[in-house]
Amino acid sequence: MSLRGLVKHFDTRLAVSGVSLEVPAGSFFGLLGPNGAGKTTTLSMAVGLLRPDAGQAVLLGYDVWHSPAEAKALVGVLPDGVRMFDRLSGPELLAYHGLLRGMPADVVDQRSRDLLDVLELGSGNRTLVVDYSAGMKKKIGLACALLHAPRLLVLDEPFEAVDPVSAALIRDILQRYVSGGGTVVFSSHVLEVVERLCSHVAIMSDGVLRLCGPLAEVRGERPLQDVFVQVVGGRVATGSELAWL
Amino acid sequence: MALTPEPVRVGVWPFVRLKLRITGNGLRGRPARIVMFVLGLIAAGLFAVLGHTIFAVPGLLDRPEVGEILFPFGGAVLILGWVFLPLLFFGVDNTLDPAQFALLPLRRRTLIAGMGVAALAGLPALATFAATLGMVTSAAQLGGPAAALAGLAGVVLGLVFCVALSRAVISAFATALRSRRARDLATIMLAVVAASIGPLELTLLGVLNRADWDSVEVIARVTGWTPLGAPYTLGLDVAAGRAWAVPLKVLIVLAAVGGLLWWWSRTLEQAMVGTAGGSRGRTGTTDARGPVDQLLFRWSPRSRFGALTAREVRYWWRETRRRAALVTLGMAGIFLPISTAFAGGDGSATGLAFVVGAIAPIALANQFGYEGSAYATNLATGVPGRLEVHSRAAAHALFTVPLLLLVAVVTGLLTDRPGDMATQFGTLLATYGAGLALVLPISVRAAYALPDTTGPFSLSSGGGFSKTLPGLAALFGALIAGVPVLVLTSFWPWLGLPAGLVYGAGAYLLGAHLAGTMLDRRMPELLAAVTPR
Repeated sequence: MSLRGLVKHFDTRLAVSGVSLEVPAGSFFGLLGPNGAGKTTTLSMAVGLLRPDAGQAVLLGYDVWHSPAEAKALVGVLPDGVRMFDRLSGPELLAYHGLLRGMPADVVDQRSRDLLDVLELGSGNRTLVVDYSAGMKKKIGLACALLHAPRLLVLDEPFEAVDPVSAALIRDILQRYVSGGGTVVFSSHVLEVVERLCSHVAIMSDGVLRLCGPLAEVRGERPLQDVFVQVVGGRVATGSELAWL
Repeated sequence: MALTPEPVRVGVWPFVRLKLRITGNGLRGRPARIVMFVLGLIAAGLFAVLGHTIFAVPGLLDRPEVGEILFPFGGAVLILGWVFLPLLFFGVDNTLDPAQFALLPLRRRTLIAGMGVAALAGLPALATFAATLGMVTSAAQLGGPAAALAGLAGVVLGLVFCVALSRAVISAFATALRSRRARDLATIMLAVVAASIGPLELTLLGVLNRADWDSVEVIARVTGWTPLGAPYTLGLDVAAGRAWAVPLKVLIVLAAVGGLLWWWSRTLEQAMVGTAGGSRGRTGTTDARGPVDQLLFRWSPRSRFGALTAREVRYWWRETRRRAALVTLGMAGIFLPISTAFAGGDGSATGLAFVVGAIAPIALANQFGYEGSAYATNLATGVPGRLEVHSRAAAHALFTVPLLLLVAVVTGLLTDRPGDMATQFGTLLATYGAGLALVLPISVRAAYALPDTTGPFSLSSGGGFSKTLPGLAALFGALIAGVPVLVLTSFWPWLGLPAGLVYGAGAYLLGAHLAGTMLDRRMPELLAAVTPR
């Protein structure tokens, strides 16, 4: 995935100002940043959900805005804060995704069952996705993104609101996916997860890319937490103000 | 060390100030809302003046017997309006949501008093008060100062009863609707009630035409002794020399208000914790079929078109706002021809049935808004615009075309001209196709986000009037576009079905083509437009 000079304004506010990013194939790439840094906006522009004011997004050699069909066929997306068609049940939603991707019905059935079993969502479960818990919604979203075996996965906050057991499961699935040659790009502000999983990281704040590179280079000898706080700025300790507490 | 403050005594004024402040902040910097507020102000003023005039007429004309009927019935209608209008049309005034006070150390009594008084400080309460003051004017004309005083007391009591009743009912309703299924059901029920108001009105008018006035007077007298009419008859009672009735009626109203406040305070506590504990979905039954068979219908093609159409069909049924639209359309389709046929004149029944074809596509005017940001799925998988538009129209037609057929049959039977059924169906198809042709591009260009709410009360309160204008324009456009076929059938009735079919299909294909190419250029913009902020 390659992003070149992406810019996005919302009304008068500059949400993302000129982000350029190279994600090497086969890497496990973590996009970090505080709330409102522009992570979701950047990833939305990268996968073709949001039209940038300027700049280019190239996925596996295809420009998202010039040859969208080819680019979208190779990518799996888990958008954050985006509702799915949640009045479908989990199996129905997976079948919908599979058929929209143009997959044969028997392959859709086979893979959906596998994914539903592994993610413990139940392949005969008739509960509508709207009634799922937050963690289950993340898992069915991930299953939808994985169904067509894409070569690139773009995940927005895949670990938010997920319980520890499910998080471990998702980590395992993603690690196996990368070791099989896939590329994962995900955003997060859980530094521990990023430190444990990623080969490459980038840190954003206020719509600008502050740091980018292999994890070892970015981190150096220090914990990632310290690097993050130093780059992003902001207060991490209290002085004498809250003495009455 | 943490201090434990004494429970503070809070009066009712902070609640009133809070409500006014929230209302003011909601208007700041939003011209559209200010316009709506001013329009509301004008409407409330008109209502107040009109109501006051009507209620003052019996006094000014010195006709107490008119007042004996008008006051209890008028009062009862006002009170019932306080319960049903917010539920059906305006949305509940949730400026002060009890859940927001859940964490504050307030006594329940303080909360009830505060929220009750705050509810009085609003346009509906002021307008109602001003309107019912007309009864005091009448009482003063008929019975002098004593009657006016009694009337004033009654009007104030009536207002308090209105507020207590509407708050209590809404609070109880909100508590009962904690689970998603119950809320979905309530939305449908409200749609049914709202859609049946028109037919009810016609029936009521028919009954009134034949009613004899003695029985009406008896009913009015009985209503005057119920909490619905009692507060509004106090002035008349004094004027007519029945002063002994006043204390009894005051007691009746006070007891009713007390009971309502008690009921409200019971449900209020549940409403306060309501938002904290979300509804747990049922663990549904299991389904042994494969995922694809669970999604698709037996007749669906196993393709993208099949998946899109099957999902749309399920959404028309499972998404409450859509199902409410379908239910309303069904009611309109059946009852418009029936009630006009009973009212007389079979020509108008045919004409109104013709309208149903134009109403039907309106449900699609904001079709992308219904699912909101879920449209991102179709965008991320790269569904072409034409396919998207055709599949959505096909799913809608699956529900609508049988309904149109039913309308044609019902109209034919009612007007006793079964031979006209085919012609009628043809003109319906023509207007439906023309409506689709207009509505589909509108749904791409003028999509807007619906409030992302789980409440059933946002049925019609969201959106705003100006956003629904393109849909209304399409309605009239479809009616005009259907006229050629209507004219044609008046000369050659047998041409109705084939001509309507060809005309409707042609118009649809043109509109779908336009909407599809438009969508291809605007997909991300459409997603942004329908994403709730």
